[in-house]
Amino acid sequence: MESEIHTDAMDADRGSPTSGGDHSFRVEGISKSFRHVQALKDVSLAVDHGEVVGLVGENGAGKSTLLNILTGVLQADEGQLYVDGEPVTFTNPREAANYGVSLVHQEQDVITTMRGYENLYLGRERERFGVLEKEQMREEAQAFVDDLGINIDVDDYVRNYTFNERQMLEIAKAFHVSQKSENPVILLDEPTAGLEESGRKLLFDLVNDLRDRATFVFVSHELDEVLQISDRIVVLKDGERVDAATAAEATTDSLQQAMVGRETADEYYRIPDQQREADLGATTMSVEEVTCDDTVGPVSFSIREGEIFGIVGVEGSGKQQLGRLLAGDLDMTQGSVSVDGTVLQDPTVSDMVDAGVGYIPKDRKSEGLLLYQSVLVNTSLAMVRDMNGNIPLLDMDAEKEATLDAIEELDIKTPGPNALVHGLSGGNQQKVVIGRWLAQETPVLVMDNVTRGIDVGAKEEVYRLCRELTEQGVSIVFIGDELPEVIGMSNRIAVMAGGEFVDDPFDASPGNKPTEEDLIQEMI
Amino acid sequence: MSTTSVSEWITEKREERTLHDWIQDLGPFVMLFGLMIIFTFTTEQFFTEGNLLDNVAKNAVTLLLVSLAGTFPILQQSIDLSVESIVLLTGVATVVLITEFGLGLLAIPLAIGVGMLAGLFNGIVFTKLKVPSFLVTLGTLSVLAGVGKIITGGSTITFRNPAIRTISTGDVLGIPNLVLWGLLIYVGTIILAFRTKFGRYCFALGENERVVELAGAKVDRYKIYPFVLSGLLCGTAGVLLTLRISSASPNIGSGLLLPSIAAIVMGGTALTGGVGGPHRTILGVLVIAVLNNGMNLLGVDSFVQEIILGLVVVAAVAMSIDREKIDVVK
Repeated sequence: MESEIHTDAMDADRGSPTSGGDHSFRVEGISKSFRHVQALKDVSLAVDHGEVVGLVGENGAGKSTLLNILTGVLQADEGQLYVDGEPVTFTNPREAANYGVSLVHQEQDVITTMRGYENLYLGRERERFGVLEKEQMREEAQAFVDDLGINIDVDDYVRNYTFNERQMLEIAKAFHVSQKSENPVILLDEPTAGLEESGRKLLFDLVNDLRDRATFVFVSHELDEVLQISDRIVVLKDGERVDAATAAEATTDSLQQAMVGRETADEYYRIPDQQREADLGATTMSVEEVTCDDTVGPVSFSIREGEIFGIVGVEGSGKQQLGRLLAGDLDMTQGSVSVDGTVLQDPTVSDMVDAGVGYIPKDRKSEGLLLYQSVLVNTSLAMVRDMNGNIPLLDMDAEKEATLDAIEELDIKTPGPNALVHGLSGGNQQKVVIGRWLAQETPVLVMDNVTRGIDVGAKEEVYRLCRELTEQGVSIVFIGDELPEVIGMSNRIAVMAGGEFVDDPFDASPGNKPTEEDLIQEMI
Repeated sequence: MSTTSVSEWITEKREERTLHDWIQDLGPFVMLFGLMIIFTFTTEQFFTEGNLLDNVAKNAVTLLLVSLAGTFPILQQSIDLSVESIVLLTGVATVVLITEFGLGLLAIPLAIGVGMLAGLFNGIVFTKLKVPSFLVTLGTLSVLAGVGKIITGGSTITFRNPAIRTISTGDVLGIPNLVLWGLLIYVGTIILAFRTKFGRYCFALGENERVVELAGAKVDRYKIYPFVLSGLLCGTAGVLLTLRISSASPNIGSGLLLPSIAAIVMGGTALTGGVGGPHRTILGVLVIAVLNNGMNLLGVDSFVQEIILGLVVVAAVAMSIDREKIDVVK
């Protein structure tokens, strides 16, 4: 589904190595792989002086990797960077800054217990005989931000700044570190995330005002915004540059297609194996008006034996919090969950596990696995809860048996049950997390991005596994960022926004699947 | 994606066995036998049954119990610094319960119970009030020592009850009871660490508390238990020591903290938690016991001994710390 848009802009910016002098910043043929994962493949990009270039792509399309390479955090395997036509190499962010290239981070990167000007000069303080020249720095900093048209008091502590002012400070800092360069290149990584409407407007005004003093690369998930602010838009997909268009020509739809650009999700996720409506059993879990402060709720739904209930939504829609809520990991301020008839109000994780709900977190390295413990310890971590019968000793035979079963059933590639988990591949690690819940009776699984960061082959196996589990009557709450995957796997799909379901869940039975566009419309 | 590559890099690194791994595994053995050989040749008394059993082994028992006590909080990545004060308090309690309250054998479980209560207090403040364990126990280190010293009135208190004393001073087939108690408890802690849910959670919590929590464990409870166990073992150490010398001085137990931590770390339990276990703590204990005994026999000045002990501690920690697991040291 390659987009039809192919314009002069695209040709123009491919440039050629010999005639690149007129471009302020240019990268050619960048490739980068991490082990077996090709993060970027032959990506070229050029930005002209005074231009705002939008960079879009799905999660995992390689945007962050590209930004990291542009700022010297990572080094490309292949390819070359040029500043004003001259080949350059950045081995760290400081070198990049010397050439005027700097990044405004997605997460605010300011130290709130320090004053504005101290943040501005952080790491590059002005000293005289080893004593800080505070007064000079303060005055110069104020003049510097005033000159940029940024309205902040640099003498105030950053903790007193509004969210928006902190962002302005960050942009000022980006200009400040690259002030040696005549033509700063400021990379903005999702700068509008977390900003209110008024803050967005301020940010856009600032970028517009500073257009002739710098080049901006604007990365965002919000396609409307990208269209609004950018002159040109470059689309990345699976590490490759698939499209470029001038903002005048592009639409959110055309960008979306270019970003997603794959075959329909059927087959891919073995839809023919999906449980039919008629085969679904009784209700296993029903969620009644659950609420968590102001992040989630009220949300109600129920799930039946053998069903996969998909939940999608943008970052911050509350889908991840809903997963945690169902895991018992967040305080359920209102509402209740009932599992096989047991009603639970404000349950703890332990209560939910007792009731038969297992949670598979999004970040398996920090929340899913004990990386430096064995496969056995990880697999039996949930089942050992019940091992305090007459003799308070672990039933090591049962543990070993369950682990060997999991290794065989889930086809976990490990040297043995006593091998440490950190040595396994991502896919096999995830299977260990799944195996933990299979080692005991777990009728409901809550999975948050269960295929995150694992390779295609392992993904296939996880899909197959989920299907097999539903055949055995397990219910799965399938929270995901990758829409095709959620569409392919689920029987029903709920779209979340602002902590609630936008509408009644979509029916996603085979032959009746919603499209990604259907979901995205509700997500935004 | 950058995180994936970093962790994979670490994985690769870890699969090679480094010199550091060998030092960690064999270091304590080499040190122990090295010291024994040196002292055997430099002193006449060292390698005699009397010295090894009566001095080295008996003296090692108190340190062993205190070190085993400290091992569990460290395994779960916290620490109990109040161990020596619990020894003092339970020692004093033993004497008072026998003399003032006229209790016989019952004094023993009661005194140990005092130790467990102290541990429970540490654990609850640490877990429920979320005060870092080293701060809580640094506080109780001072508080409990103060309480103990007030009870003694500042001077050594004694009791007379030869029957009860034999629990500590008697022997079976020539092996001192004290040593037998030490070995029994040693085996018990190994079973606790490797064959019970409690032990399993200790290791798991030491590596990543969130993972354990999300697996459905009642984490708070299992974070308190190691401190209660520490109180129990230190209490036992205090009781046995008091029975052995039939008195408790205001200084009983003092100076045990540093060597116990050294012994734990030398044994391979990292201060970063999650790895090691009580089974190897005994090696560290023996190294220190032999070093002490040998230096005494050689007539090394006691102040110089302090310097040497401190150096051994720092060296042991420096050798055993797993730097790849630590980003920032504060």
